[in-house]
Amino acid sequence: MDSSGEDLRDHIIELLPRLRRFARSLARNTQDADDLVQITAERALAHAGQLRPDHSVAGWLFGILRNAWIDEGRSRRRRESLLEPEDIAERVGDPAAAADQELLCLQDALSRLPEEQHLAVALVLIEGFSYKEAASIMGVPVGTLTSRLARGREALQSVLSETAGAPS
Amino acid sequence: MTFPDEVLMAYADDELDAQTRSAVDAAMAADPEIARRIAQHRALRSRVHSAFDRVLEEPVPARLLKVVRSEPAAAHGDNVVPLRRRQARHWAWPQWTAIAATLIVGVIAGRWGLVRIGAGPVVVRSGQVFASGALAAALSDQLTADQPAAAPVRIGVSFRSKSGEYCRTFIVRQTAALSGLACRAADGWQVSVLAGTQSPGGGPGTYRQAASAMPPAVIVAVGDLIAGEPLDAQAEAAARGKHWQH
Repeated sequence: MDSSGEDLRDHIIELLPRLRRFARSLARNTQDADDLVQITAERALAHAGQLRPDHSVAGWLFGILRNAWIDEGRSRRRRESLLEPEDIAERVGDPAAAADQELLCLQDALSRLPEEQHLAVALVLIEGFSYKEAASIMGVPVGTLTSRLARGREALQSVLSETAGAPS
Repeated sequence: MTFPDEVLMAYADDELDAQTRSAVDAAMAADPEIARRIAQHRALRSRVHSAFDRVLEEPVPARLLKVVRSEPAAAHGDNVVPLRRRQARHWAWPQWTAIAATLIVGVIAGRWGLVRIGAGPVVVRSGQVFASGALAAALSDQLTADQPAAAPVRIGVSFRSKSGEYCRTFIVRQTAALSGLACRAADGWQVSVLAGTQSPGGGPGTYRQAASAMPPAVIVAVGDLIAGEPLDAQAEAAARGKHWQH
Protein backbone atom coordinates (compact mmCIF):
# COMPACT_ATOMS: atom_id res chain seq x y z
CA MET A 1 0.00 0.00 0.00
CA ASP A 2 1.45 3.31 -0.96
CA SER A 3 1.08 5.72 1.90
CA SER A 4 3.40 8.51 0.99
CA GLY A 5 0.86 11.04 -0.14
CA GLU A 6 -1.88 10.21 2.30
CA ASP A 7 -2.79 11.79 5.51
CA LEU A 8 -1.68 10.00 8.65
CA ARG A 9 -4.56 11.06 10.90
CA ASP A 10 -7.15 9.88 8.40
CA HIS A 11 -5.26 6.65 8.06
CA ILE A 12 -5.23 6.08 11.79
CA ILE A 13 -8.95 6.87 12.09
CA GLU A 14 -9.72 4.50 9.27
CA LEU A 15 -7.75 1.77 10.98
CA LEU A 16 -9.14 2.39 14.49
CA PRO A 17 -11.82 -0.33 14.20
CA ARG A 18 -9.19 -2.87 13.17
CA LEU A 19 -6.70 -1.73 15.78
CA ARG A 20 -9.44 -2.08 18.41
CA ARG A 21 -10.17 -5.60 17.19
CA PHE A 22 -6.49 -6.53 17.33
CA ALA A 23 -6.17 -5.05 20.82
CA ARG A 24 -9.25 -6.98 21.97
CA SER A 25 -7.63 -10.18 20.79
CA LEU A 26 -4.63 -9.36 22.99
CA ALA A 27 -6.27 -7.87 26.09
CA ARG A 28 -9.46 -9.34 27.46
CA ASN A 29 -10.65 -6.19 29.15
CA THR A 30 -12.17 -3.66 26.71
CA GLN A 31 -10.79 -0.63 28.60
CA ASP A 32 -7.31 -2.12 28.60
CA ALA A 33 -7.63 -2.89 24.89
CA ASP A 34 -8.67 0.68 24.13
CA ASP A 35 -5.77 1.94 26.25
CA LEU A 36 -3.46 0.00 23.94
CA VAL A 37 -5.07 1.62 20.90
CA GLN A 38 -4.72 5.04 22.50
CA ILE A 39 -1.02 4.45 23.23
CA THR A 40 -0.61 3.29 19.63
CA ALA A 41 -2.20 6.44 18.23
CA GLU A 42 -0.15 8.67 20.52
CA ARG A 43 3.11 6.95 19.66
CA ALA A 44 2.32 6.91 15.95
CA LEU A 45 1.67 10.65 15.90
CA ALA A 46 4.70 11.38 18.06
CA HIS A 47 6.94 9.29 15.80
CA ALA A 48 5.34 10.06 12.45
CA GLY A 49 8.83 10.71 11.12
CA GLN A 50 9.72 7.04 11.47
CA LEU A 51 7.16 5.97 8.89
CA ARG A 52 8.96 5.49 5.59
CA PRO A 53 7.10 6.04 2.36
CA ASP A 54 7.61 2.40 1.40
CA HIS A 55 6.06 1.13 4.64
CA SER A 56 2.49 0.00 4.93
CA VAL A 57 0.76 2.30 7.42
CA ALA A 58 -1.32 -0.61 8.67
CA GLY A 59 1.76 -2.77 9.26
CA TRP A 60 3.50 0.08 11.06
CA LEU A 61 0.52 0.78 13.35
CA PHE A 62 -0.04 -2.89 14.16
CA GLY A 63 3.67 -3.15 14.96
CA ILE A 64 3.40 -0.22 17.38
CA LEU A 65 0.39 -1.82 19.04
CA ARG A 66 2.21 -5.12 19.32
CA ASN A 67 5.17 -3.39 21.01
CA ALA A 68 2.84 -1.50 23.34
CA TRP A 69 1.20 -4.76 24.35
CA ILE A 70 4.55 -6.38 25.02
CA ASP A 71 5.83 -3.33 26.95
CA GLU A 72 2.78 -2.61 29.01
CA GLY A 73 0.98 -5.89 28.92
CA ARG A 74 2.85 -8.08 31.30
CA SER A 75 1.81 -6.53 34.58
CA ARG A 76 -1.70 -6.02 33.30
CA ARG A 77 -2.04 -9.64 32.29
CA ARG A 78 -0.75 -10.80 35.64
CA ARG A 79 -3.46 -8.74 37.27
CA GLU A 80 -6.07 -9.99 34.83
CA SER A 81 -5.28 -13.61 35.44
CA LEU A 82 -6.39 -13.13 39.03
CA LEU A 83 -9.78 -11.86 37.95
CA GLU A 84 -12.56 -13.79 36.36
CA PRO A 85 -14.58 -12.03 33.69
CA GLU A 86 -17.55 -11.13 35.86
CA ASP A 87 -19.87 -9.84 33.26
CA ILE A 88 -20.68 -13.17 31.62
CA ALA A 89 -22.93 -14.43 34.40
CA GLU A 90 -24.71 -11.10 34.74
CA ARG A 91 -25.85 -11.11 31.18
CA VAL A 92 -27.69 -14.39 30.88
CA GLY A 93 -30.87 -13.79 28.89
CA ASP A 94 -29.40 -10.90 26.93
CA PRO A 95 -29.80 -11.71 23.23
CA ALA A 96 -26.27 -10.51 22.56
CA ALA A 97 -24.92 -12.68 25.37
CA ALA A 98 -24.24 -15.74 23.21
CA ALA A 99 -21.99 -13.76 20.90
CA ASP A 100 -20.34 -12.08 23.89
CA GLN A 101 -19.74 -15.42 25.49
CA GLU A 102 -18.08 -16.78 22.36
CA LEU A 103 -15.84 -13.71 22.24
CA LEU A 104 -14.92 -14.04 25.93
CA CYS A 105 -14.30 -17.75 25.51
CA LEU A 106 -11.86 -17.10 22.67
CA GLN A 107 -10.19 -14.19 24.45
CA ASP A 108 -9.70 -16.44 27.42
CA ALA A 109 -8.30 -19.28 25.31
CA LEU A 110 -5.93 -16.91 23.48
CA SER A 111 -4.67 -15.44 26.75
CA ARG A 112 -3.37 -18.87 27.72
CA LEU A 113 -1.05 -19.09 24.72
CA PRO A 114 2.59 -18.04 24.92
CA GLU A 115 2.96 -14.41 23.89
CA GLU A 116 4.55 -15.00 20.48
CA GLN A 117 2.04 -17.69 19.47
CA HIS A 118 -0.80 -15.48 20.66
CA LEU A 119 0.44 -12.66 18.41
CA ALA A 120 0.84 -14.94 15.40
CA VAL A 121 -2.69 -16.27 15.77
CA ALA A 122 -4.14 -12.78 16.27
CA LEU A 123 -2.38 -11.26 13.26
CA VAL A 124 -3.13 -14.06 10.81
CA LEU A 125 -6.42 -15.61 11.92
CA ILE A 126 -8.15 -12.54 13.30
CA GLU A 127 -6.60 -9.67 11.35
CA GLY A 128 -6.17 -11.59 8.11
CA PHE A 129 -2.57 -10.52 7.49
CA SER A 130 -0.56 -12.70 5.15
CA TYR A 131 2.31 -14.68 6.66
CA LYS A 132 4.74 -12.20 5.16
CA GLU A 133 2.96 -9.17 6.58
CA ALA A 134 2.54 -10.79 10.01
CA ALA A 135 6.21 -11.78 10.07
CA SER A 136 7.22 -8.23 9.26
CA ILE A 137 4.98 -6.81 12.02
CA MET A 138 6.54 -9.23 14.49
CA GLY A 139 10.03 -8.59 13.16
CA VAL A 140 10.79 -12.26 12.48
CA PRO A 141 11.45 -14.38 9.37
CA VAL A 142 8.41 -15.99 7.70
CA GLY A 143 9.59 -19.45 8.78
CA THR A 144 9.55 -18.42 12.42
CA LEU A 145 6.09 -16.92 12.05
CA THR A 146 4.84 -20.10 10.39
CA SER A 147 6.03 -22.35 13.15
CA ARG A 148 4.66 -20.05 15.88
CA LEU A 149 1.36 -19.95 14.07
CA ALA A 150 1.22 -23.74 13.75
CA ARG A 151 2.02 -24.23 17.43
CA GLY A 152 -0.37 -21.47 18.43
CA ARG A 153 -3.21 -23.03 16.48
CA GLU A 154 -2.57 -26.41 17.96
CA ALA A 155 -2.50 -24.96 21.48
CA LEU A 156 -5.64 -22.94 20.84
CA GLN A 157 -7.46 -25.97 19.47
CA SER A 158 -6.58 -27.98 22.54
CA VAL A 159 -7.56 -25.21 25.00
CA LEU A 160 -10.90 -24.86 23.19
CA SER A 161 -11.53 -28.61 23.27
CA GLU A 162 -10.83 -28.64 27.01
CA THR A 163 -13.15 -25.71 27.58
CA ALA A 164 -15.89 -27.37 25.62
CA GLY A 165 -15.40 -30.42 27.82
CA ALA A 166 -15.39 -32.73 24.84
CA PRO A 167 -12.76 -33.92 22.41
CA SER A 168 -13.12 -32.31 19.01
CA MET B 1 2.08 -38.73 0.24
CA THR B 2 2.24 -37.03 3.61
CA PHE B 3 2.69 -33.37 4.43
CA PRO B 4 3.80 -31.70 7.61
CA ASP B 5 0.99 -29.94 9.41
CA GLU B 6 2.52 -26.56 8.59
CA VAL B 7 1.94 -27.22 4.90
CA LEU B 8 -1.69 -28.16 5.45
CA MET B 9 -2.13 -25.07 7.59
CA ALA B 10 -0.63 -22.91 4.83
CA TYR B 11 -2.98 -24.59 2.36
CA ALA B 12 -5.94 -23.65 4.55
CA ASP B 13 -4.63 -20.08 4.77
CA ASP B 14 -4.12 -19.85 1.02
CA GLU B 15 -0.39 -19.31 1.43
CA LEU B 16 1.06 -22.07 -0.75
CA ASP B 17 2.71 -21.63 -4.12
CA ALA B 18 0.81 -23.15 -7.03
CA GLN B 19 3.01 -26.23 -7.27
CA THR B 20 2.74 -27.28 -3.62
CA ARG B 21 -0.91 -26.46 -3.71
CA SER B 22 -1.63 -28.87 -6.52
CA ALA B 23 0.45 -31.55 -4.80
CA VAL B 24 -1.77 -31.13 -1.73
CA ASP B 25 -4.87 -31.17 -3.92
CA ALA B 26 -3.81 -34.48 -5.41
CA ALA B 27 -2.96 -35.98 -2.03
CA MET B 28 -6.23 -34.77 -0.58
CA ALA B 29 -8.21 -36.57 -3.25
CA ALA B 30 -6.56 -39.82 -2.23
CA ASP B 31 -6.51 -39.34 1.54
CA PRO B 32 -9.57 -38.11 3.44
CA GLU B 33 -7.43 -37.58 6.54
CA ILE B 34 -5.61 -34.73 4.78
CA ALA B 35 -8.91 -33.16 3.81
CA ARG B 36 -10.11 -33.48 7.40
CA ARG B 37 -7.06 -31.74 8.81
CA ILE B 38 -7.35 -28.89 6.34
CA ALA B 39 -11.02 -28.52 7.17
CA GLN B 40 -10.10 -28.35 10.85
CA HIS B 41 -7.63 -25.53 10.21
CA ARG B 42 -10.25 -23.65 8.25
CA ALA B 43 -12.91 -24.17 10.89
CA LEU B 44 -10.65 -22.79 13.63
CA ARG B 45 -9.73 -19.80 11.50
CA SER B 46 -13.32 -19.05 10.70
CA ARG B 47 -14.47 -19.45 14.33
CA VAL B 48 -11.80 -17.12 15.70
CA HIS B 49 -12.29 -14.60 12.95
CA SER B 50 -16.05 -14.37 13.23
CA ALA B 51 -15.99 -14.03 17.01
CA PHE B 52 -13.87 -10.90 16.76
CA ASP B 53 -15.39 -9.50 13.59
CA ARG B 54 -18.19 -7.69 15.35
CA VAL B 55 -15.68 -5.48 17.19
CA LEU B 56 -15.29 -3.71 13.83
CA GLU B 57 -18.87 -2.53 13.96
CA GLU B 58 -18.71 -1.09 17.46
CA PRO B 59 -18.56 2.70 17.49
CA VAL B 60 -15.03 3.90 18.14
CA PRO B 61 -14.89 5.49 21.63
CA ALA B 62 -14.75 9.29 21.54
CA ARG B 63 -11.55 9.37 23.58
CA LEU B 64 -9.66 7.54 20.83
CA LEU B 65 -10.96 9.88 18.16
CA LYS B 66 -9.99 12.82 20.33
CA VAL B 67 -6.42 11.58 20.64
CA VAL B 68 -6.04 11.15 16.90
CA ARG B 69 -7.60 14.53 16.19
CA SER B 70 -5.78 16.57 18.80
CA GLU B 71 -2.46 14.93 19.54
CA PRO B 72 0.28 17.01 17.92
CA ALA B 73 2.05 15.09 15.22
CA ALA B 74 5.81 15.12 15.02
CA ALA B 75 6.83 17.09 11.99
CA HIS B 76 10.56 17.29 12.01
CA GLY B 77 13.22 16.38 9.55
CA ASP B 78 13.03 15.29 5.99
CA ASN B 79 11.64 11.85 6.61
CA VAL B 80 8.29 12.91 8.00
CA VAL B 81 5.10 11.53 6.52
CA PRO B 82 3.79 14.30 4.34
CA LEU B 83 0.72 15.60 6.14
CA ARG B 84 -0.79 17.05 3.04
CA ARG B 85 -4.03 18.91 3.37
CA ARG B 86 -2.81 20.03 6.76
CA GLN B 87 -4.32 23.46 6.34
CA ALA B 88 -7.56 21.94 5.26
CA ARG B 89 -7.57 19.67 8.30
CA HIS B 90 -7.77 22.51 10.80
CA TRP B 91 -10.71 23.72 8.87
CA ALA B 92 -12.20 20.27 8.44
CA TRP B 93 -12.40 18.92 12.00
CA PRO B 94 -14.79 21.53 13.41
CA GLN B 95 -16.97 20.94 10.37
CA TRP B 96 -17.28 17.34 11.31
CA THR B 97 -18.45 18.19 14.77
CA ALA B 98 -21.35 20.12 13.27
CA ILE B 99 -22.16 17.36 10.92
CA ALA B 100 -25.73 16.57 11.91
CA ALA B 101 -27.47 18.91 9.55
CA THR B 102 -25.17 18.89 6.59
CA LEU B 103 -24.07 16.53 3.97
CA ILE B 104 -20.39 15.90 3.98
CA VAL B 105 -19.03 14.05 1.06
CA GLY B 106 -15.90 12.53 2.46
CA VAL B 107 -13.33 10.48 0.72
CA ILE B 108 -14.52 9.46 -2.67
CA ALA B 109 -12.08 6.71 -3.43
CA GLY B 110 -11.91 3.70 -5.62
CA ARG B 111 -13.97 3.52 -8.74
CA TRP B 112 -17.18 4.83 -7.32
CA GLY B 113 -19.09 7.36 -9.31
CA LEU B 114 -22.57 8.75 -9.00
CA VAL B 115 -23.60 7.43 -12.37
CA ARG B 116 -23.18 3.85 -11.22
CA ILE B 117 -25.70 4.11 -8.45
CA GLY B 118 -28.64 3.31 -10.65
CA ALA B 119 -31.95 4.18 -9.06
CA GLY B 120 -30.06 6.13 -6.43
CA PRO B 121 -29.78 5.55 -2.71
CA VAL B 122 -30.27 9.25 -1.94
CA VAL B 123 -32.50 12.11 -3.06
CA VAL B 124 -32.28 15.83 -2.32
CA ARG B 125 -35.38 17.50 -0.91
CA SER B 126 -35.43 21.15 0.20
CA GLY B 127 -31.67 21.20 0.21
CA GLN B 128 -31.39 18.18 2.46
CA VAL B 129 -30.27 14.71 1.56
CA PHE B 130 -32.54 11.77 2.29
CA ALA B 131 -32.17 8.05 1.79
CA SER B 132 -34.37 6.56 -0.88
CA GLY B 133 -35.13 3.26 -2.55
CA ALA B 134 -33.36 0.18 -1.23
CA LEU B 135 -31.30 2.23 1.21
CA ALA B 136 -34.36 3.81 2.83
CA ALA B 137 -36.04 0.41 3.01
CA ALA B 138 -33.03 -1.19 4.65
CA LEU B 139 -32.70 1.64 7.17
CA SER B 140 -36.34 1.21 8.15
CA ASP B 141 -36.61 -2.56 8.11
CA GLN B 142 -33.28 -4.32 8.42
CA LEU B 143 -32.10 -5.39 11.88
CA THR B 144 -28.36 -5.75 12.41
CA ALA B 145 -28.83 -9.10 14.10
CA ASP B 146 -30.64 -10.54 11.11
CA GLN B 147 -29.18 -9.35 7.82
CA PRO B 148 -29.14 -11.52 4.71
CA ALA B 149 -25.52 -11.99 3.62
CA ALA B 150 -26.37 -10.92 0.09
CA ALA B 151 -28.45 -7.88 1.01
CA PRO B 152 -27.58 -4.85 -1.13
CA VAL B 153 -27.34 -2.69 2.00
CA ARG B 154 -25.58 -3.65 5.19
CA ILE B 155 -26.42 -1.83 8.42
CA GLY B 156 -23.42 -1.35 10.71
CA VAL B 157 -24.53 0.10 14.01
CA SER B 158 -27.72 1.72 15.34
CA PHE B 159 -27.73 4.29 18.12
CA ARG B 160 -29.52 7.27 19.68
CA SER B 161 -27.96 10.62 18.92
CA LYS B 162 -27.38 13.30 21.54
CA SER B 163 -30.50 15.04 20.30
CA GLY B 164 -32.55 11.86 20.59
CA GLU B 165 -32.92 10.71 16.98
CA TYR B 166 -32.28 7.16 15.95
CA CYS B 167 -29.26 6.95 13.66
CA ARG B 168 -27.77 4.06 11.72
CA THR B 169 -24.59 3.56 9.71
CA PHE B 170 -24.84 1.77 6.39
CA ILE B 171 -22.87 0.39 3.48
CA VAL B 172 -24.47 0.24 0.04
CA ARG B 173 -22.73 -2.43 -1.98
CA GLN B 174 -22.15 -1.20 -5.49
CA THR B 175 -19.20 -1.62 -7.79
CA ALA B 176 -17.35 -0.07 -4.90
CA ALA B 177 -19.09 0.45 -1.62
CA LEU B 178 -20.79 3.67 -0.60
CA SER B 179 -21.20 4.15 3.10
CA GLY B 180 -22.57 6.69 5.47
CA LEU B 181 -24.71 7.67 8.39
CA ALA B 182 -28.41 8.50 8.40
CA CYS B 183 -30.66 9.74 11.20
CA ARG B 184 -34.42 9.45 11.34
CA ALA B 185 -36.23 12.73 10.82
CA ALA B 186 -39.99 13.20 10.68
CA ASP B 187 -40.08 12.88 6.91
CA GLY B 188 -37.47 10.21 6.25
CA TRP B 189 -33.90 9.12 6.82
CA GLN B 190 -31.73 12.18 6.61
CA VAL B 191 -28.25 11.35 5.41
CA SER B 192 -25.60 13.32 7.28
CA VAL B 193 -22.46 11.60 6.00
CA LEU B 194 -21.91 9.91 2.70
CA ALA B 195 -18.53 8.60 1.65
CA GLY B 196 -17.04 6.29 -0.90
CA THR B 197 -15.28 3.29 0.55
CA GLN B 198 -12.22 1.93 -1.11
CA SER B 199 -13.11 -1.24 -2.92
CA PRO B 200 -11.80 -4.41 -1.26
CA GLY B 201 -8.67 -6.19 -2.30
CA GLY B 202 -6.61 -3.03 -2.67
CA GLY B 203 -3.37 -4.77 -1.74
CA PRO B 204 -1.46 -5.91 1.32
CA GLY B 205 -2.96 -4.73 4.56
CA THR B 206 -6.46 -4.58 3.18
CA TYR B 207 -6.44 -8.33 2.84
CA ARG B 208 -9.76 -9.94 3.80
CA GLN B 209 -10.99 -7.01 5.81
CA ALA B 210 -13.26 -5.59 3.20
CA ALA B 211 -16.88 -5.77 4.15
CA SER B 212 -17.16 -3.66 7.25
CA ALA B 213 -14.51 -1.02 6.73
CA MET B 214 -15.96 2.42 7.43
CA PRO B 215 -14.34 5.58 6.10
CA PRO B 216 -12.92 8.04 8.65
CA ALA B 217 -15.72 10.58 8.09
CA VAL B 218 -18.31 8.02 9.23
CA ILE B 219 -16.25 6.83 12.19
CA VAL B 220 -15.76 10.40 13.37
CA ALA B 221 -19.42 11.35 12.87
CA VAL B 222 -20.64 8.39 14.94
CA GLY B 223 -18.20 9.28 17.72
CA ASP B 224 -19.49 12.84 17.76
CA LEU B 225 -23.18 12.06 17.60
CA ILE B 226 -23.66 8.99 19.74
CA ALA B 227 -25.25 9.29 23.18
CA GLY B 228 -24.28 6.34 25.37
CA GLU B 229 -23.97 2.85 23.95
CA PRO B 230 -25.21 1.57 20.59
CA LEU B 231 -28.57 -0.18 20.53
CA ASP B 232 -28.52 -3.90 21.27
CA ALA B 233 -30.68 -6.31 19.28
CA GLN B 234 -33.67 -5.87 21.58
CA ALA B 235 -33.56 -2.07 21.62
CA GLU B 236 -33.15 -2.02 17.88
CA ALA B 237 -36.19 -4.21 17.31
CA ALA B 238 -38.18 -2.00 19.68
CA ALA B 239 -37.09 1.14 17.82
CA ARG B 240 -38.16 -0.39 14.53
CA GLY B 241 -41.49 -1.27 16.16
CA LYS B 242 -42.17 2.43 16.70
CA HIS B 243 -40.90 3.36 13.25
CA TRP B 244 -37.74 4.94 14.64
CA GLN B 245 -39.71 7.86 16.08
CA HIS B 246 -38.51 9.10 19.43
